[in-house]
Amino acid sequence: MARIGVFVCHCGENISSTVDCAKVAEIASNYPGVVYSIDYKYMCSDPGQNLIKEAIQKHKLTGVVVAACSPRMHEPTFRKATAEAGLNPFLCEMANLREHCSWVHFREDSTTEKAAELVRVLVEKVKHNEELFPIKVPITKTALVIGGGIGGIQAALDIANSGHKVIMVEKNPSIGGKMAQLSETFPTLDCSQCILTPRMVEVAQHPNITLYTYAEIESVDGFIGNFKVTIRQKAKSVDHKACTGCGLCIEKCPIKKIPDEFNAGLGNRAAIYVPFPQAVPNKPVIDRNNCTYFLKGKCGLCKKVCPADAIHYEQEDELIKVDVGAIVAATGFDIKHSDFFPEYGYGKYADVIDGLQFERLASASGPTLGVLKRPSDGKEPESIVFIACAGSRDPAKGIPYCSKICCMYTAKHAMLFKHKNHHGKATVFYMDIRAGGKMYDEFVRRAIEEDDVNYIRGRVSRIYEKNGKLIVCGVDTLLNSRPVEIEADMVVLATAAIANSDSEELAQKLHISYDPYHFFSEAHPKLRPVETNTAGIMLAGACQAPKDIPDTVSQASGTAAKVVALFSQDELTREPLIAYVNNNTCVGCFLCQSVCPYLAIEKEEIRRRDGTLVKTVAKINPGLCQGCGTCVALCRSKSIDIHGYTNRQIYAEVSALFNRREYAGV
Amino acid sequence: MSDLINKTSQFFSSGIIDLFIGYKKGRLGEGKPAFFTKPDQLSELIFDENCIVNLAVYLRKPELKKYSKIGILANFGTLRALLQLAAENQITDGQYLILTVADGKVLEFANLKAIEEYVANNLPKPNPERLALLKEIESKSREERWDFWTRELSSCIRCYACRAACPLCYCEQCLVECNQPQWVGVPPTGLGNLEWHIVRAMHLAGRCISCGECEAACPMEIPLGLLTQKLNMTIISNFGQIPGTKREPDYALSTFKVDDKENFIR
Repeated sequence: MARIGVFVCHCGENISSTVDCAKVAEIASNYPGVVYSIDYKYMCSDPGQNLIKEAIQKHKLTGVVVAACSPRMHEPTFRKATAEAGLNPFLCEMANLREHCSWVHFREDSTTEKAAELVRVLVEKVKHNEELFPIKVPITKTALVIGGGIGGIQAALDIANSGHKVIMVEKNPSIGGKMAQLSETFPTLDCSQCILTPRMVEVAQHPNITLYTYAEIESVDGFIGNFKVTIRQKAKSVDHKACTGCGLCIEKCPIKKIPDEFNAGLGNRAAIYVPFPQAVPNKPVIDRNNCTYFLKGKCGLCKKVCPADAIHYEQEDELIKVDVGAIVAATGFDIKHSDFFPEYGYGKYADVIDGLQFERLASASGPTLGVLKRPSDGKEPESIVFIACAGSRDPAKGIPYCSKICCMYTAKHAMLFKHKNHHGKATVFYMDIRAGGKMYDEFVRRAIEEDDVNYIRGRVSRIYEKNGKLIVCGVDTLLNSRPVEIEADMVVLATAAIANSDSEELAQKLHISYDPYHFFSEAHPKLRPVETNTAGIMLAGACQAPKDIPDTVSQASGTAAKVVALFSQDELTREPLIAYVNNNTCVGCFLCQSVCPYLAIEKEEIRRRDGTLVKTVAKINPGLCQGCGTCVALCRSKSIDIHGYTNRQIYAEVSALFNRREYAGV
Repeated sequence: MSDLINKTSQFFSSGIIDLFIGYKKGRLGEGKPAFFTKPDQLSELIFDENCIVNLAVYLRKPELKKYSKIGILANFGTLRALLQLAAENQITDGQYLILTVADGKVLEFANLKAIEEYVANNLPKPNPERLALLKEIESKSREERWDFWTRELSSCIRCYACRAACPLCYCEQCLVECNQPQWVGVPPTGLGNLEWHIVRAMHLAGRCISCGECEAACPMEIPLGLLTQKLNMTIISNFGQIPGTKREPDYALSTFKVDDKENFIR
């Protein structure tokens, strides 16, 4: 026989101001199966919890209903108290008298009646509760970091320095990401590479970090603590163990006119190449799409000149399987290129460039060695127009969001130009200046006030060429919307930051959600900004949304803390409120498999002792199941159920509501 | 017909099959399901337009487990049922010898893919009379429709012949047999009947291969097929999935596609 105890909490006055708690306790005492019922001012306080513990022992309770606040608030509290009294914690249920009743109704008899009904529903449920035990899942204490930009580097170093193994996968031949391409960084104007490259070297030399460059994620299976990842190591055609990085092959390679990705297309590279001189690893790969040997079968010059015999044309892509416990996605972002803006003369004018190209022109390691020369004729520009929000905040272009970094880097660009050419004319067209951040607004003010950059609030309608000059037609909305025309030698578009073209594909491999713009979604925009909705997969940097370096680095460290916290335990303890299959009735149609958002449903073969197959049935992976119940609803033969919310429990609750008049003593 | 009998008896004599499920002539001229275990029984084997019973319904019966390889003579509904059963992991490619007769010729399907192609090329147009009947019911007001179905379903005696005849009602435990909790009332009363038929229709939504066996089996002549047909038409027009045409699972109720219509969300 069920022996249920009911504990009605006043929650100070939160509940008792509209609900007659003593009356609820009195009514509840008459419900079948209830052997003890009491009300108290603060059930969550120590004396309140002691009431529960004492009653469990004194009245030999088999179930506890605490009628108080939302289970989100205090279910753990009361379940812990229940366990301390020797009863399985999952035999304790909460009736939510606060959010579901007292806060939303006036003080009336019917409010008290509803409270009593809520209690009755839970009394009926708890009669069907079963003892449940937490699930333990072991943890592989290795983290996978996808992406070797500053976000990935920071996360990897933080995790590795905490003593855990890290595997870093970078799709390019070198780590460093976008930050390696930048000239100087705002708001301090310190050299980007000077602060980044030591970290890149640290990653390469760290005993806890295994680095796979020129590699991509092939597939991801498993679940938190136990991911199984396949990495595709693309063929480098160069044995990096033998290679000394002498660079002779690059020198001799006859194919030298390939647009250089690292220099944003402003320079050229060879078919065998190292992206930039400070690359990590500083050893070349062969770009098979452009190499004569791979295209025509002839050449082989690099192999001939290599003193270390490190060139291996026959190398093939390799699939590497690794086990990891947590995954950090730090895949960064891309920018819209100038071809997105026909109105700004894309294709016609070589001197309309994007922000990343300007970074390369201004960078000491760039194609012009830091001298600002315009791409068309190599002349040093006297007048540059910078256009902020090129594409961003423009619903007509399909990008309604703010790219966040452009206001700051445009100010930086204008300053860099003025520092290199004191008499030059820098003009910025902007919509708003968004310079929120430490020392950020001061930085923009410095550009305007000290470096004499001309800021015009308004948008540019078109750009055309006249007498060798680019004429930028815009409007000055602060001067009565007067049209303005500025003559420029070069135009820099602060183009929108967008998600990587393959981010959707990666999100699907990782089973994480993404927003309409293909940036990865965080679990909660405010309170869980570094985790995804898939347990064990975290985010760092601009793959989540456009971010500057300080934000990326902070998030990467935050993510690392989450990973390290996960790895601080040997086993994961999970609430056992997950689905389970009745093998006797499951017919193995597996239509539940495609409906499971967590890929938690596997196939299990039922065999006789002699090994003959009886049938194949569905099996729930307890590490993956989140207890959402979608499979339960879909299963035709009701062969799937959820611990803690079984069909019997729900049915008992609903039936209790239907049969309400019987015991309502109000 | 001799061609069919010859071929089938060859399959027996070469030991390829030890059971053949086909039809023989029934008392009223109907094609009656028949189970042949020896070649000399095959003289009774027939296949004509009266052979409408969906033989796929027998494949999952425990009585057939003792046979090592089974041949089946499939009409169009049976072929679609076989594909749907394959999509639902109930049969595997190559498990059965599958024959049909088309234009007087015996066709043997090498695999499920061949059935898929055959079904795709021969999908019949919906019966205009049925469509007219559906339209007529649809044109009724909500109250009239409710009255229509409560009246029709009130005659149900809960014999579950519809379930027994359906090749896709293969659950070992049907929902109506669950009594912990008892979701659907068992006695043949108004509410229980309504619950049973709604549940049956929903369980077949996106799975029903429109063979019409449920309706044909109903001793009370309830137009059951209209419910599943309507659901199927809704699924085809909204999501484009036609049950019993693919050997891989493509279940409208459990899949999401980015271009799914969402006009029902208001």
